[in-house]
Formats: sequence, C-alpha cells, structure tokens
Amino acid sequence: MHILRFRDAAYVRGAQTIVAPSNLDLAPGDHMTRACSSAPEAEALAMMAAALARATSGTVTIGEFDPRVQPVHCKRIAAFVPHDPLPLSQIDAARYVAYRAALWDIDPAVARSRAQRLREQLEGMHEAFAYPILGALLPLPQLLVLDRPHPAFVPQILAAASDCAVLVVETTVQS
Amino acid sequence: MTLRALRAVVGARLRAERRSLVFSCAGAAIVGFVQPHGITAITDPLTADVATRSVWLAGPMFFCSTIGIAIALMQGPGRHAFLDTTERSAPLFGRELARAKALAPVLSATLATLVYWAAQFLSGFAAPPTFFLLAIACVLASTLVALNATVTAGVARAGALACAAATIVVAYVLAVYADAYSTKSGDAVGVATELVVCAIIGFVALRQYGELLARYDPLT
Repeated sequence: MHILRFRDAAYVRGAQTIVAPSNLDLAPGDHMTRACSSAPEAEALAMMAAALARATSGTVTIGEFDPRVQPVHCKRIAAFVPHDPLPLSQIDAARYVAYRAALWDIDPAVARSRAQRLREQLEGMHEAFAYPILGALLPLPQLLVLDRPHPAFVPQILAAASDCAVLVVETTVQS
Repeated sequence: MTLRALRAVVGARLRAERRSLVFSCAGAAIVGFVQPHGITAITDPLTADVATRSVWLAGPMFFCSTIGIAIALMQGPGRHAFLDTTERSAPLFGRELARAKALAPVLSATLATLVYWAAQFLSGFAAPPTFFLLAIACVLASTLVALNATVTAGVARAGALACAAATIVVAYVLAVYADAYSTKSGDAVGVATELVVCAIIGFVALRQYGELLARYDPLT
C-alpha cells in the first residue's frame, strides 16, 4: 500500500520536458526528499504529487486514486505547501485559519485548537512560513507535499507532520 | 460545496479586491452623474422611444459591463497567488469552485451598476427599474463570459474577451430594439427577450468556466 506512487510520470510543456519520466513510492507515514535540478521541475513535481497538476505521461496515484479521474478524492488525502510564504499584508493569520477551515469544512473551534497546537510545534518559525504549513495540516491529511521548503525548517515540519507521509521536494541549485 | 466554503471564497476574493471595488463604484458614480441623458426633440413616438432607450441604456450597459469584465479579469491567476493555490488544493469540483469564484466579480459588478443607477437617479435622470434590470442582465452575462478569459491563453483568451464584448452588443441591441418594437405586445416581450438571452449566455459561460477550471493547469 502506497500513499503516493509515480510510474514514469512526466510533465512536458510544448517541446520542453519539465519533469523527466520518474518513479516514486511513498508509504503512509514515511518521509522522502526528492532533489530536482531546477525550480520549475521541483514545482511541477510537487504539484503533480498534490494533484494540482496532471502528469502529461505516465501515472500518478494518490492513495488509491488517479488525479486525472478523481482529483477531489486526491485532494482530500494530499496537502500542498507552496514555496512562497503567506503574504501577511493581504491576509492575517487568524483569518487564514478560518478561511482554510471553511474550505475543508472543519469545525471552527476544532480548527482553532488544531492551529494553536500546530503553532506551538512550529514555534520560532515566522508566521509567513508557519501558517501555510499549519493550514495544510489542519484537515489532517495523509500526505503532505512541501514545495522547496526552507531547509532550516524541515526538521520542525517533519516533527509537526509526524502522523502523515511527507514528500519534500528540493532543488539542488539555488532558485 | 458548503455554504461556509462558498462564503469563505467569495469573502476572501472580495476582501482581496476591495480597492478595485471602491474604484469601480467611484467610476460608476462619476460616469452616472456626467453621462448625457438628453435626446433631441422627436415627434414620432417609436423613434423617440428608441432614441431614449439607446441613450439611457448605453451608459450603464457599456460602462458597467466594462467594469464587470475588468473585475472578472482580476480573478485570473497570479494576482492573488495564495488564494489561487489554496482554492485549487481544496477538495472542490471545478463547477463548485467556478460558482464561488464567479460570485465575487458578479457581486462587485452588481454593486457598481447599482451605484451607477443611483448616480443617474441623483442627477435627475432616473431610469425606470426596467432599465436597471436590462443593464444588470447585460453586465452579469458579460462578466461571466469574461471569466473564461482568466483561465485561457492566446487565441482562446482573445476569443473569450471578444465573446464578452459581443454579449454587451447583443444585449444592448435587444434591450433597445426588441423593447421598442414590441410596444404592441407590451414591454414585457422585449424585456424578457433580453433577459432570457443574457440568462442563457451567462449559464453557458458559467458551465464553461467550471469545465475550464477543472482542466486548468497552473503550470502553463
């Protein structure tokens, strides 16, 4: 049983191959770090793993679901943390938690208590970096996909996400 | 999709675009005040009816629809990346997300049209409520059509914008002429024709937007 499986999954845009055919197996509760040679490759790989983008060839399965056929089921399993921090000038942290809770239909009181507990686990991390992670973990996903997280925060994120499988997508070059 | 999720998406989008909303309403108020409403003296009642409708409806329909299209285009990816990413990663079907994302520009455009009508009223040339109904139908239909341009590129995007512009023209022509030439059957026929056409266009555009959102690739 795998929570995430890539079989020759590739992402091609026009004549340009962004993600070469690749294989990946991630079991529930496991952690994996995947190094990519460029930022676009890392972003595409992370989005494919979180059912936000579809592989142009090969197959991706999240849980038992194919994102091309059942994207909503996949999104109930996988959570995505983007590379960019939360723009706190546009939305404050409390409102962001309420927004995420509403989208994932989590009881507001439960969401607040989970957010508080997660914030304590992510103590020391700037709000702009902590809240996207916290928001992704609110609906208790089975898979957390991190798109190029700050390397210094990875151990803390892994500790906070100890109940779910985590795929960390990194770049081998500075983007 | 729960009502709470719908409110969250619409609220977040409106909050993110609150400055644009204020500018749109301010623009609508100014144009509503300064728009010329007078027509030259015409003795033929049919010609006078057409002239009145064409002058009184031109401002709200063309200007407010343009506002609607502009607000719709602001919902495109990139402007509020964190909202786009969060909405896309939520377990929502394309059609559900389309309805929620469309509601924000639709509400903004409706508010701008209301402000325009209020400005017209305050400037002493209050258009009858039927005119407001005709204008709002045109504004909403063109706004919904323009939303399709936010998730397409190149020729498809230009096509969606051309369709939005065509919607305004068709709705205007119907509102002015179908109404004026249906005086024997009463205004209801003309009004209903424009409303039905706009409703059909809006419905198809919203369905298409849902399909496009479901197939949308954020990496392109």
